[in-house]
Amino acid sequence: MSVETLESNVSEPVRRKGLAFHRDRLWLLVVPMTLFFVVFFAFPVLILLADAFDKPTAGRVTPHGDFVLTNFIRFFSFPQYYNSALLTIEIAVVSSIIAAILGYPLAYLIAKLEHPTWNTVLMILVLASMQLDGVIRLYGMMVLLGDNGLINGTLIRWHYIDKPLPLMYNVFGVIVGTVQITLPFMVLSLIGVIRGISPSFEEAARSLGASPWRAFRTITLPLTMPGLLAGMLLVFALSSSSYVVAALMGGWKVWVLPIHIFERISNSGQWQFGAALSTILFVINITAVFIYLAVSSRMTGGRA
Amino acid sequence: MREAVRFHWLIWVGSAAALLVLLVPVVIVVMAGLTAGEYLTFPPQGLSLRWVVTFLRSPTFFPAYLFSLELALITTAISSVMGTMAAVYLTRSQAKGVAAMRGLFMSPIILPGLVLGLALYVSYVLTNIGLARTFGGLLVGHVLVTSPFVLATVSASLVGFDISLEEAARSLGAGPLQAFRLVTLKIIQPAVAAGSIFAFIISFGQFDLSLYLGTPNLTGLPYAMYISLRYKFEPTAAAAGIFAIALVVLSMALSSRLVNLTRLVSNARLRW
Repeated sequence: MSVETLESNVSEPVRRKGLAFHRDRLWLLVVPMTLFFVVFFAFPVLILLADAFDKPTAGRVTPHGDFVLTNFIRFFSFPQYYNSALLTIEIAVVSSIIAAILGYPLAYLIAKLEHPTWNTVLMILVLASMQLDGVIRLYGMMVLLGDNGLINGTLIRWHYIDKPLPLMYNVFGVIVGTVQITLPFMVLSLIGVIRGISPSFEEAARSLGASPWRAFRTITLPLTMPGLLAGMLLVFALSSSSYVVAALMGGWKVWVLPIHIFERISNSGQWQFGAALSTILFVINITAVFIYLAVSSRMTGGRA
Repeated sequence: MREAVRFHWLIWVGSAAALLVLLVPVVIVVMAGLTAGEYLTFPPQGLSLRWVVTFLRSPTFFPAYLFSLELALITTAISSVMGTMAAVYLTRSQAKGVAAMRGLFMSPIILPGLVLGLALYVSYVLTNIGLARTFGGLLVGHVLVTSPFVLATVSASLVGFDISLEEAARSLGAGPLQAFRLVTLKIIQPAVAAGSIFAFIISFGQFDLSLYLGTPNLTGLPYAMYISLRYKFEPTAAAAGIFAIALVVLSMALSSRLVNLTRLVSNARLRW
């Protein structure tokens, strides 16, 4: 039943006085959050954008209203900077593919499991690992993968290898860290769509003679594509943005954009160039959102 | 009755692999914090509480833990109230700008924390409002990154909420605010609680914002751990991690009693 039909059932006096937050005064509710987001989100982002187009002056933090492209020209003239953007994208793409492959079975299990206790336990595990401080999980991974870590230490002590395997302080380590941190987001965005598919579709395919694998591949997988894409987008955005994963798992040897941003500003006081790099990072994420929207509307034939 | 779903073996293997990836680092932290040795080896050298005691006496980690708790509590109070109010508006209003507003409120999720911290810092310096490198300035950042989660959680519980319940209360003589408080707020209360818990935990574990908004004496636990991790693997940091892990698992168990987590996640897809 829609709100309109309900409205007409309400007696006259109630309608005249209205509800506390209905129609006339409803907008009051959104005033605090709007003000907060305009002052502390929209405005700062615009200021940072102004900084990115400002004349670079070492040590000066704030923009003073020039409009030059110096910072962006510098970005596109030096391989260390544009390659860093490409590396950021590569790591984010690879991580989102691995997270999709790894996350799908678990999401499927949680979505279809009808045992309430196990379902809740698995949900708590996934949500808790999503919400647990990333630095704590990175600590665990560093102890596991480091040169003197559990894997290398044990293998060396048991004489399987002489030199530690390069598991960390390189791109491999950053990808492992990123996948670990972002996997719960992938699982969570898949659970919703998998649950939304009526099991009778797959049953129909099965009763018509399709193997379980074929029923999955031709029915369930295409129907869960929107959730899979949304999850990959989320992993991509989180992965390209993370400073702490690259700093710890990459050991300042994997120069992704967030590392460059921090290094330029903190070590050289180049706020304008840092702001330009931030803008480029944000543009990369926005582009990912648009690619996602385009792909998902093509896949669903404009239905979603 | 439909017979229970039977899973392909690939689903079991894949799920086990994913759970290993999720849980192994956490188990390692717990073991490293409880090890009897100077550092964690395999096989472990036995259990002891020495690092837990060191953590509780630590001049850096324990105050950082308390600071994170304090900051997370204040952040939660603000973003829960603000996010719940906005969620009620966004799910009830038929105004044109609603989608754009939701997009704005959800966008801190895709803006990198490092970039958001930087943007806030530059704007604090520019406007000279005395928030740069202060508790208030850091708090603003935390409210920005946590309120989308409250908004999404509460919105999910309001989808399909039948407004006629509130109208019924009104026609039975309740005042407008009374009807809202006794009916709507009562029904969405579990979701508000769950949203607050999410906000609390996300604020507690927030790292990237502190790079530009924190100061040496405004250090939360993630930052303190980061600093120590850059140089060595102190078991004290792992012991601090155990307390954070306990906090998160308890909060999640608590919220699973308040709301159906699977249903919540199905409804609250974080969209923008």
